[in-house]
Order: sequence, then C-alpha cells, then structure tokens
Amino acid sequence: MRSRVGLFILVYALMTVLSTVSLYLLKEQRVDVYISLNILSYYISYAVIRPGPSTNIVKVLNITLFALFIVVVAFRVYEVLA
Amino acid sequence: MATVNTGLLILGLNIVVISILLSLYGLATGDSGLVGIAASLGLAGGVIVAYSRTPQDPTTASLLNYSKTLVNAVTSTIEDLDLLESSICIVKKGAAFLLAYSKTPCPAQVDPGIGFAGGSPYLAIPIEIPSPVPAEALGTSTAAGEPVERVLRSLLVEELAVCRGVKVDVAGESYSIYITGLAESLRDFTRYPVDPYTLLVLSTLSHTTSASCIRLVQRTYVPEGLVLVVKVEKQ
Repeated sequence: MRSRVGLFILVYALMTVLSTVSLYLLKEQRVDVYISLNILSYYISYAVIRPGPSTNIVKVLNITLFALFIVVVAFRVYEVLA
Repeated sequence: MATVNTGLLILGLNIVVISILLSLYGLATGDSGLVGIAASLGLAGGVIVAYSRTPQDPTTASLLNYSKTLVNAVTSTIEDLDLLESSICIVKKGAAFLLAYSKTPCPAQVDPGIGFAGGSPYLAIPIEIPSPVPAEALGTSTAAGEPVERVLRSLLVEELAVCRGVKVDVAGESYSIYITGLAESLRDFTRYPVDPYTLLVLSTLSHTTSASCIRLVQRTYVPEGLVLVVKVEKQ
C-alpha cells in the first residue's frame, strides 16, 4: 500500500523546489513572494492528494498557513493602496 | 497519541536547520533572494515535521490484515453455528472483554470460544483495544456523549486513521454513533457480520462506560459512512 502522506510530501516538495528555483532564477528579491508561492504549493498538493484524515496538528498547520497567506496578501494590498 | 514517523521528523528538522543557516548567510551577504529560499525551505520543513505526527498508512494496512483474518474466521464459524441473524455484544468477564455472537442478547455466562447460553449457541472472542482511555479521565462536559466522542475520535481518527469523523448522540442508555469518511480499504468490511468499525466502537464503549454489556442494536451503512446504534446495559 502506497502512503498518501509520502505522495503528498513528494508532490509538495517538487512544487516548492520548482517555484523557489524559478523565482531565484528570475532574480526575485521579495521574501513574501517565496512564502506565498510555497503556501499555494501546499494547498494545491493538499487538495489534489488529500493525505488522510485531518488530525489536530494538520488543522493547526492549515489555519496557520492560511493566516500567514492572508497577512502577506493584506500587506501587498495595503502597499498598493498606500 | 499518534505515532511519530521518525524518518520524516528528522528530515523536517534537518530542513529547518538548513533553512536557518541559509537565512543567516543570506542576511550576512544581503541577498534577499537567498533569505526567500530559506523562508520557503523553513516552511517546507515545518510542514514535514507536522506530517510526521499524522497516522501513516501502515497502521491501516495492519488493521486491514487483521480484519481480513478475523472476518474469514468469524464468518465461517457464524455460518456453521447458524448465528448470521444473531446480536453482537461485548460482555465484560472480570478484566477481560468478550465479543459475543448469540441469539440471546447479552448472555450472562459466556466463556471464550464456542458454547451454549440461554438455549442458544454463542461465539465469544476475547478482544483488547489499543488505548483503553476511560471517559472520566477526559474531564466533564456539558454534552452527554462528548467524552465518548472524544475517545472514539482520538482512536479512530487520530491514532488509526480509519475514518474522517465521529459523532455521538446519547439518548438514555442508547448511543448513536455516526462514523463518516470510512477508509477505502476497510469500507467493504461493513457488509460482513463483523467489521473493524463495529468492533472498535463496541470495545471502546465498553471501556469508557464501564458497562457490563454493550449490545449492537442497529448497524446501517449510509453513503457518508456508518451509523451504529448501541445499547449500554450497566446492570
């Protein structure tokens, strides 16, 4: 039986490596762009693979990453408006 | 308590340490891109550490093997004893718990194995649950079924990962347990006279409620999962 958690981590790691390397090669200097793309990679992998039941630690992780993403986006919106 | 995948935990912690070192180097050289890579790596490390504490598929694989063996053995024995329409209950005998199939609900005198009680044959199997946590140990709650629900969720969702959710409604001595999001590999067992969900729920209830007999009144398979109606007889 193949582990769904293992598959999820593999897909997430691949997406993270691809996005991070691409951003660095494009000479991106904003740290929040790296973080937000990483969070997006996490949610895409999570939605596609569905790595098992949501335990408490996964719920906390999901909420934390979502809050972090909201903060990054809010900061960017504020920057544009200001 | 969920088992820890040590390999994943070490991998995640290593990634976090590397990300910290990389971010320090990035800050020292004034390369924000490198700090970005470090932040991304740190997040990935954190995610891997978090997932090292989630239940892994081998737990389900072990339960699948156990269930196959149990179902094959019990189904043929039940057929031979003409107990296909029997009631399933957990009887407490001293410190041991016996899963009993009998046409007599909650037979008082049962021993492990095959025997007669109340003029009807029975099959009794000694069982042991992975983590017997009494509901009293989990504190008091306003909802009657909440401690039991917490124990069942801890075992079925967080430890064994055999379903996505558990809900318990209590009406007097009757408990209605709604199990949703059954594991694909174990879903088929709900068609057999004995299935891991019923077994785990009954045995967990017998521990948490300290009842002398727990009887399965109804087992309904619905598209969302499984509904079990259980009667607790404390005597």
